[in-house]
Formats: sequence, C-alpha cells, structure tokens
Amino acid sequence: MSRQALSALLLCAYLPAPAALACTARIEGGQRIESTHYELAYRTHPAPVVVGQHFALDVIVCARAPHDRVTELRVDARMPEHRHGMNYRPSVTDRGGGVYRVEGLMFHMPGRWQYVFEVRDARGTERLTQDHWQR
Amino acid sequence: MRSLVLALLAWVVAAPSAAGVVFNAEEKRAILAHGPWPAPWRPDASNRASGTAEGIDYGRRLFFDPRLSASGKLACASCHVPALGWSDRQRVGVGKVPLDRNTPSVLNVRHERWLGRDGASDSLWSHALKPLTDEREMGSSVDELAAFLRSDADLRCRHVRAFGALPADNLLLAVEIAKALAAFQESLITPRTAFDRFRDALARGDGAGMARYPEPAKRGLRIFVGRGNCAVCHFGPTFSNGEFADIGVPFFLAPGQVDSGRHGGIASVQKDRFNRMGPFSDARDPADAVAIRHLVQEHRHWGEFKVPGLREASRTGPYMHAGSHATLLDVVRHYSELDVERLHADGERILRPLFLSPRASLDLVAFLETLSAPQPLHPVKPRPGACS
Repeated sequence: MSRQALSALLLCAYLPAPAALACTARIEGGQRIESTHYELAYRTHPAPVVVGQHFALDVIVCARAPHDRVTELRVDARMPEHRHGMNYRPSVTDRGGGVYRVEGLMFHMPGRWQYVFEVRDARGTERLTQDHWQR
Repeated sequence: MRSLVLALLAWVVAAPSAAGVVFNAEEKRAILAHGPWPAPWRPDASNRASGTAEGIDYGRRLFFDPRLSASGKLACASCHVPALGWSDRQRVGVGKVPLDRNTPSVLNVRHERWLGRDGASDSLWSHALKPLTDEREMGSSVDELAAFLRSDADLRCRHVRAFGALPADNLLLAVEIAKALAAFQESLITPRTAFDRFRDALARGDGAGMARYPEPAKRGLRIFVGRGNCAVCHFGPTFSNGEFADIGVPFFLAPGQVDSGRHGGIASVQKDRFNRMGPFSDARDPADAVAIRHLVQEHRHWGEFKVPGLREASRTGPYMHAGSHATLLDVVRHYSELDVERLHADGERILRPLFLSPRASLDLVAFLETLSAPQPLHPVKPRPGACS
C-alpha cells in the first residue's frame, strides 16, 4: 500500500462516521468530542455556566460502529493545574437512545476546567475529555 | 513601527490616566461580576414561610426574644448584634460557654448554600435549630421551645398566620420556629455601597461616577481581581463562591484537638435528618436538594472553612473561622505573608504570598472598606399591636 493510500485510510478511520455526526447533531448548539469508537455531544443547563452555581448537562453518546453498545456513562470535571475536582459527584441518568442527563455539577472557581466523560462498553472504558475555560 | 503602535496601545489600555487607575478589559469583566447589588434571590422552597411578610414579622419577634433560651437571657440577637454587623466582635462566640468558632454575621445569609463555618447545614432553618437546642449555646430543647410558644397567645397567633396552623407535634413546631427565624434573617440584605456605585458607573461607562470612587480603593480593587487572586474564591455579588477553602489558618483547638472544618461538616449534613432530603423540607421538587444529593467528602476537605462573603466586612471582625485575625489589615497581612507549608494543595497553588508593600496592603484594606455601607443595617421595627 502506498504511503498516500495509507494516510487516506488513517484519515478516514479518524473522521467521525456520518451516522455518528447525524446522531450527535440531535443536541443543537452543543460541544462535540470524538474518540476512537464514539462521538459525544453535550450542552449545559443553564448556559453559560456560572461560578459557584450548580448546572446540568444533556449528553448524547453515539457509536461509530453499529454493533457498539454503551453500558455506562460516567461524568466528572477537574482542574488539571490545581489537581482537584469538583466538590460534588454528578449523577447520570440514562434516558435511552444514547441520551443522558447529568446533574449535580458545579465549577466552584474560575479557570481551566476539564470535562471527563468515561464511556464503558464490552471492550472496557474509553475516556473523552474537553477543556472549558470558566470565567 | 508595529512595535511602537503596540507599545502605544498597551499604554492607552493599561496606564493610569490623569484621573488615576484605569482598568483594562479583563479587570473590568472581573469587577462587573461582583454585581449588580442587591443580587436576585428566590424564596427558599424548603421553607414555606420564606419571603412572606407574616413569616418575616414573626421571625423578627422570635429573633430578639431571650425566652427562646433555657436561661431566658440569651436571644439570637445576643450574638448576632445589629449594631455589630449582626455578629458579636468576639474572637469566638459565647453562648452558655465559650465556643470554638467565630460568630458569623447573618447579613446576606439568604444567598448561602451551606450554613455554618463548616457548612454542616444545607438550609438556614435547619441551621437555626442548632443554637436553639445546643447545650453550649442557647441550651433549650424541642419540648421547651414548643411549651414556650404554646403558652404565649400573641406568638401562637403569629405562628398560625405564618404557617396556617399550630402543629400538635412538638418537633414540627420547633422546626417551624426555626423556619420563621430563617425567614427573618433572609430579609437582612446589606445596603448598596461605594463599590456598588463605582461598579455600576463602570458598567454604563460613566466617567464622572467612576471618578468619585477613591483612588486607594481602585488600586486595592486591582490587586483583588488581579495578582491577589482574591476573586477566585471571593466571587460574584456576595464576594463568595459559597464553597470552602484551606487558606493556611491553623485549625488546632487545643493540644490533641482539631477542628476538621468542612470534612466534618459534610459528614454532619449528610446524616442530618433536617437536611433538604429529609421529611421536614417543604420543597416538592427534588432539584431543591441538588447540592446535598451530590455532595462528596474527600480528604482535601480537611481543614477547609467556608469562604465568607465580604460585604460589611469592616463591621464583622475578628476574622477567620476562629477569630484569629483582629483587623482587615491583619487579614491582608495573612495573605501577604502566607505560610505555604500550611496549605494542602497538590497542584499549582492558587494561593501564594502576595508580598504586598505597606501601601498596597492599605490599598487592599481601602477597597474592602468600600464594601460596607456608611451606616450599619438596623432591623425594621415589628408592626405594632397584638395579633388577633
């Protein structure tokens, strides 16, 4: 296989499948994250998030391959520089069809926070992270 | 040429003008986050007397009534003294005996999610029950409180007005007494201050309004929202994020005894039968208990204490959880000369010694003093006449 063909194949493997893109588009105006097997979108309530006030997330998790099934979603957030997380442990409610409601989050100070989504399936756990700059 | 333009731009944005300190865009954004004041508020859904005229009036009478204590000599207002910033100016509170912690002011308490220095209560009413029945404080009991109330025709009448009925159960009656006390304390909102006028002038670009704010206070404000990192925790209109922090203040009570602060507070509130998940809450929406439902205790909470709001701070000393710092200047010196070895941070430190010059320390104090109104907040007198 030529180097160009291999590059093209790797690129295709990395890009989200059209089905996954259409799937996460069900959350309008949300943030999107991709991993090897999943694409995830989320939106905060309220938006924007306010320091020191609880907020919730609507999350949708979409598999790139039709046979992949999510068995559990865990959500957390951390401040990597300060090496601490939130003062609260969020609860995740599975609403079916890859849709989840996450409650009990709070950013108690401004700065760089990182959302951590752990998608569990038959293979194990896939971790998706995204930075959020809280003002 | 490009560097000359950039240098000129930087000078225009950040340099003091003839009028003194000029805040840049980032500083402005941080300052505006401390208002407007008064901040929006919704009555407490867990307390059906919250925000009602009847509840507030009834609670006001109870707050100043020493008959709520076992001795008949100690009212809530004995420690939360209106003329003393609704605190007591003591290093630690004194009930029937000296206590372990400084008495917090009850001003603006309606904005607090957790009550007490360790946040051992998740509502103002459940917190109000504690001093009433604590043997070291007012020393009463549920049955004594209920008997007192049932014996006073005027208070009985006011109770029915506030809650619709007088419950037969003594515990429920005591809880409702605490709910009335909470309704009154929720009405204690600090007046607007010189800072608020400056903040609002900044928001509308009113140069004349901004110029009336003293220059030392502006310099102190710049430290507060900038290199001081104060606004990281002292955030928003109340100047508190409502959570807890370890700022390197010793938490030893006596040899072999420590105040575990938030670590113990979390354990207490989670097992408290009066918390928002319990049967005494009037709330119907589970969202009302979102904080307690998701609370988690970690080792890092050890020695953390609640971040206090800073409004009226110049009237509420001594400071820190055990009153270890007598003046605002002492508090500023604490942060200026911070002992980082006392802090428990694992990662990048939010708190570092500020090494403030004497003038910068006084500027920070000058700013903090502008968070107090010229006159202390006095209670509105109860409506005259007996209840019938």
